[in-house]
Amino acid sequence: MAKTRALVKRRKAIRNIRKITRTMELIATSRFQKAMKRAQDAEAFTRKIAELAADLSATAGNVKHPLMETHDPIKHNVLLVLCSNRGLCGGYNGSILREAMSRVRGIQAEQKTLHLELSGKRAIAWFKFQGFTPEQAFTHFEDKPKFDEVEVIANRYIEAYSAHKIDRVDVAYMKFINPGRQAAVVETLLPLAGVTDENKPAAKSQVDYEFLPDAAGILEEILPTAFRTRLFKCFLDAAVSEQIARRVAMKAATENAGDMIKSITRQYNRARQAQITKEIAEVIGGAAALE
Amino acid sequence: MNGTKSVQVVVVTPERTVLDAAVDFVSLPMYDGELGVLPGRAPLIGRLGAGELRTRKGTVTERFFIDGGFAQVRADVVTVLTARAIKAEEIDQQAANNVLQNPPPGEGRQKAQDRARIQLRVARKAAESAV
Repeated sequence: MAKTRALVKRRKAIRNIRKITRTMELIATSRFQKAMKRAQDAEAFTRKIAELAADLSATAGNVKHPLMETHDPIKHNVLLVLCSNRGLCGGYNGSILREAMSRVRGIQAEQKTLHLELSGKRAIAWFKFQGFTPEQAFTHFEDKPKFDEVEVIANRYIEAYSAHKIDRVDVAYMKFINPGRQAAVVETLLPLAGVTDENKPAAKSQVDYEFLPDAAGILEEILPTAFRTRLFKCFLDAAVSEQIARRVAMKAATENAGDMIKSITRQYNRARQAQITKEIAEVIGGAAALE
Repeated sequence: MNGTKSVQVVVVTPERTVLDAAVDFVSLPMYDGELGVLPGRAPLIGRLGAGELRTRKGTVTERFFIDGGFAQVRADVVTVLTARAIKAEEIDQQAANNVLQNPPPGEGRQKAQDRARIQLRVARKAAESAV
């Protein structure tokens, strides 16, 4: 009797957990769709900037800009790690931190100065455990990063980079490739690699533009904007990927809970049947003893 | 665009597309003054300053606050790329006043104040023309 009761209790508990994980899955799905929409909206801007830059560089040729210069020697490395504030999203944080850590080791091996900046409680907790103290830590980036908030960080980098206070900026985050594929990457944002879309051949139709003030001047202005947008895109990608990771993790958890309930139900039925059989045997045994 | 001439104006911020409409006339806040665009304008790429973007369709005028960026005019399409675009009616005047009275410390102080001043001006103009 005791065993069946324990099984019933356990089954009930798992049912409750399944309810929670299923709800979380649904929430993550809807958040993912919202985040996805934001990312797509943002893409219009990135695309236009790249178009503009392509048109400009066709006219202006190559421009030198403080953000494009490679500093030599590279001494001060900034590493910005984008993780989530909350857990329960499978291997999302783990894989980002692994990538970030290998970069940290690389910097340490070269005896360079590391400026660690973290976003997300998970990253903060993990690096604290590893014995690192971040120079900056943000926890206010949730699934809807605002451009205004990202711009503040971007402007700080631009200023420090132009003043040669930092020599390289890397961002470790989960890159969104398509809804079925995301990859943890460490991307170098500064020095800026160029703003034109490398995949597409630039300037298909030559239009004679009038430039105000002039092509080079505009291109110079575009570069900081391109950098800000690129950093913003990292945050958006991270937000989308986090929701995907959470949805996948919660889906698996819900399915596992279902399987577990099935197996426990089977065990319970078997235990109950065994008990009934035992009781019948006892009754028959008792009756036989009376004869 | 055939027969009835109009300008397609597209305002894009990093977060979303704020405006995408066909209008008769667009006035852009360039870095050194206003620039009006009518249908059939020659292609142009230019830098924007903080200021007011106006569009007119028929007798309806719409105003936006634009915070710098770039504009591209090509084949009767005006593309505006800017960090911030706020519709004149949605400008938070109180917040702007706050910035004027208690400016944020640091180097961004002058910029923030200028921005707030322009926002207030755009909002006031919109309110005046609405009466």
